[in-house]
Amino acid sequence: MNSGPEKFEELRKLMALKRHEQPPPEYMHQLPDTIITRIERGEGQLNLWDKLTANFALRPSLAYAFGLTVCGALGLSGGYMVRQEMLRAGDSSLEATLRAPPVDTFASQSKPAATPLHVANWLGNTNPAADSQMELPLFSTSRTTIPVSYESGN
Amino acid sequence: MFIETSRDGKEHTKAQLEKPIVRLPVPILEEVEDAESRKISDLGLVRQAQHEDVGAYDELVRRYQDRIYATVYHMTSNHEDANDLVQETFIKAYRALKTFKGDSSFYTWVYRIAVNKTINFLKQRKNRQHMSLNDVDHNAEHDPDLVALVSEKTPRRDLNLAELQDKLNGAMLKLSEHHRMVVTLHDIQGLSHEEIGAIMGCNVGTVRSRLFYARQQLQANLADYLK
Repeated sequence: MNSGPEKFEELRKLMALKRHEQPPPEYMHQLPDTIITRIERGEGQLNLWDKLTANFALRPSLAYAFGLTVCGALGLSGGYMVRQEMLRAGDSSLEATLRAPPVDTFASQSKPAATPLHVANWLGNTNPAADSQMELPLFSTSRTTIPVSYESGN
Repeated sequence: MFIETSRDGKEHTKAQLEKPIVRLPVPILEEVEDAESRKISDLGLVRQAQHEDVGAYDELVRRYQDRIYATVYHMTSNHEDANDLVQETFIKAYRALKTFKGDSSFYTWVYRIAVNKTINFLKQRKNRQHMSLNDVDHNAEHDPDLVALVSEKTPRRDLNLAELQDKLNGAMLKLSEHHRMVVTLHDIQGLSHEEIGAIMGCNVGTVRSRLFYARQQLQANLADYLK
């Protein structure tokens, strides 16, 4: 790659013209005053995030510490929320158990848990005893025979 | 062979005596010391400015405003935009001064802010490039390089400096921001490859390849005015 001066000699001469482009004569005298006035007016103040990132640039260890703190706080809050949910679920199940009426073991054995009729219709089966159908996989190839009862009058 | 003895007793040939004495550019000690003291002084001013001494910062602005302005101006080819960007650069530098550790010089640090600000600005302004050029000073008419270029080698002999300036800036604006920046910093501002690498956050090889490509592009765009 020939980037030697001889190849671009003409261009170098032409570029000299750019160095002769000068701003208006008084411009450079006024510029510092304008800048200092704007600074004193409080322009360009950094917000909290800018200050934080500026400090991170200055001290990378601070960035790591900040990252760890944020991750730790997220982990702790997540853990706390899960624990609260579990406790709430445990309380409600305990409460439900306590409030539930005494179970008639004979009745529960003779009569299966009632499935609402609309669910039974949706399954294409009006037999309220066939609630085990709900647990079948939708695309199951092995079909089980569902006992149909005509005693209920359907 | 004609041999003559000089005052200091050394023998010289005629050719040696007729040859004009060429002084090699030796760094003058005073200049080096001055640069050193300025460097220390820069740091001193920065330390004062970090304690909200606006006067110290004013001095820093005065020292570097010319170079920062020139860089931004050559990048934008627009005086008004350059004015805004230079002000914003120095204001941002003042606000971020507490993060300045002194690993690099203040000059490199401010340059970096100016370069990033300018490149971001140009990316936003992408399709709205409007030139507002400064006047060429009177010295340009006596610059031997330019005189030769305009009067002898340019095929359009009636081409004046203002037209040439317009064409040159137009060709500069056709370059990508990074290529334009390298050409500006090296060929106009006279910075070394290493300095440009430090300012632009890239290695010297990248600077060299960008410079080569940018010059090729410029040469192609300005072919009518170069040979």
